[in-house]
Amino acid sequence: MLEVSGLRKVYDSHGRRVEAIGDLTFTVPDGSLTCVVGPSGCGKTTLLRCIAGLLQPTAGEVRVQGSLVSGPPAGLAVVFQEYGRSLFHWLRVRENVELPLKAARMPKSRRGELVADALDAVGLADAHSAYPWQLSGGMQQRVAIARAIAYQPKVLLMDEPFAAVDAQTRADLEDLIREVWRRLGVTLLFVTHDIDEAVYLGERVIVLSASPTRVADDLPIDLPDLRDQLTTRADPRFTELRGRVYAQIQKAKAERTPT
Amino acid sequence: MTFVRRIILAVALPITLLGLWWFASEGSTNYLWPPLSRILTAFGDTWTAERLRADVVPSLTRLAAGYGLAVIAGIALGVLIGGAPRVRAFTEPVLEFMRAIPPPVLVPIIMLVLGLGDTMKIVVIASGCVWPILLNTVEGVRGRDEVLDDTCRTYGIRGGLRVRHLVLRAASPQILTGARQALSIAIILMVISELFAAENGLGFTVMQFSRGFQIPEMWSGVFLLGLIGVALAAVYRLVEAWLLRWYHGQRLSRREW
Repeated sequence: MLEVSGLRKVYDSHGRRVEAIGDLTFTVPDGSLTCVVGPSGCGKTTLLRCIAGLLQPTAGEVRVQGSLVSGPPAGLAVVFQEYGRSLFHWLRVRENVELPLKAARMPKSRRGELVADALDAVGLADAHSAYPWQLSGGMQQRVAIARAIAYQPKVLLMDEPFAAVDAQTRADLEDLIREVWRRLGVTLLFVTHDIDEAVYLGERVIVLSASPTRVADDLPIDLPDLRDQLTTRADPRFTELRGRVYAQIQKAKAERTPT
Repeated sequence: MTFVRRIILAVALPITLLGLWWFASEGSTNYLWPPLSRILTAFGDTWTAERLRADVVPSLTRLAAGYGLAVIAGIALGVLIGGAPRVRAFTEPVLEFMRAIPPPVLVPIIMLVLGLGDTMKIVVIASGCVWPILLNTVEGVRGRDEVLDDTCRTYGIRGGLRVRHLVLRAASPQILTGARQALSIAIILMVISELFAAENGLGFTVMQFSRGFQIPEMWSGVFLLGLIGVALAAVYRLVEAWLLRWYHGQRLSRREW
């Protein structure tokens, strides 16, 4: 379970005060797939960094599995937006996936199994001895996802992981994420600015307002569990949900007071 | 470009220059500018196996010791300073001051403290070489990608594993730039440290020839020093290409896209 309560983050730099997150409270139950969507610049990345324990909130708290987050919590993995920068360019694909397991002092044979399984799950079984820069952008992000899978997290955070890949790769990766989530039973929080992506992926979509950020809407996605790029996106219910999220975001943008 | 053409391009200018030198100096009667033919004869006669063992090996051993010491100390201190903003702010003015001092100036001081032995010469080389390595390491460690830093924090990659796989590797292109600058300084200081009160070494031998007016022999020593410099640079390039194969590969792949 992931609990965010009364979260607030104010950046104070060079005499300019920016209230990135106003007051955020929500709970993500175990094993669920929640998408967080909001207008650009609404503090999505700030929220994710606070949950990951990479950033100290100004007020409020985050709890992962019941314990207060004050630094990066155990059992939490993050897939960052900048795949090109989150992989170790000097390590081969296999070594990139293995490094967190080495840090956890896992025995070698077990590490080998987990790495092979994870690379298999993301369709990169053949690329284990390549260097990241020898792969396309979509494949690099698959490596980052494999690294998260092999780590066997209880909670997995994803920060606009597909923002920088092309549309077709993106569709493939979306389906991959659904599959991985169903297989691992992990609690997944997926941050995106793409409304279609949020509705297609999530069991639930949390819509954020413009900054100072609050929860503008929180709606369950009652689409069938087995999703398909063609049929799900053609479903009238999909269009309806998408319309509702879109309207909320437009409203959030309009309410934004120019500063 | 084919391999053969690259070789031809690389050796064309040296051969031309040697040829010009050969013909321009042939028949020279100027005492200080002997014909190249005489210098080359002197080269063969002077740098015998015995002489290489007695003078060149001690020089190169001191060079390796001083340079190695500078590499180890420079990288270790650089990782410490570059990793902690406060330590950096605290030490930076002193480091900039130390770097600004021309290394040969330190020779008389180090001689006073450490005497005239091998230790003095090794310390002279190390004290001059350490600065480019140290300062480049600091910059390299400081400039590492913050997303990789976050990745390490998230996945619990800490301590020695983090230093080995993140800090050192991310800084390695800059560390090697510093090591290259230090290599040139090392050769200069190796010679300089042997000009004062030495009993063997390349610098000492060249100085002896000069004092004894053995001009072709003196020139042959200068020639040998140049060759050693070229050989060390070639070794450096091999090591660099191996350590930074990811870096060069990455740059190449970016250019292709």
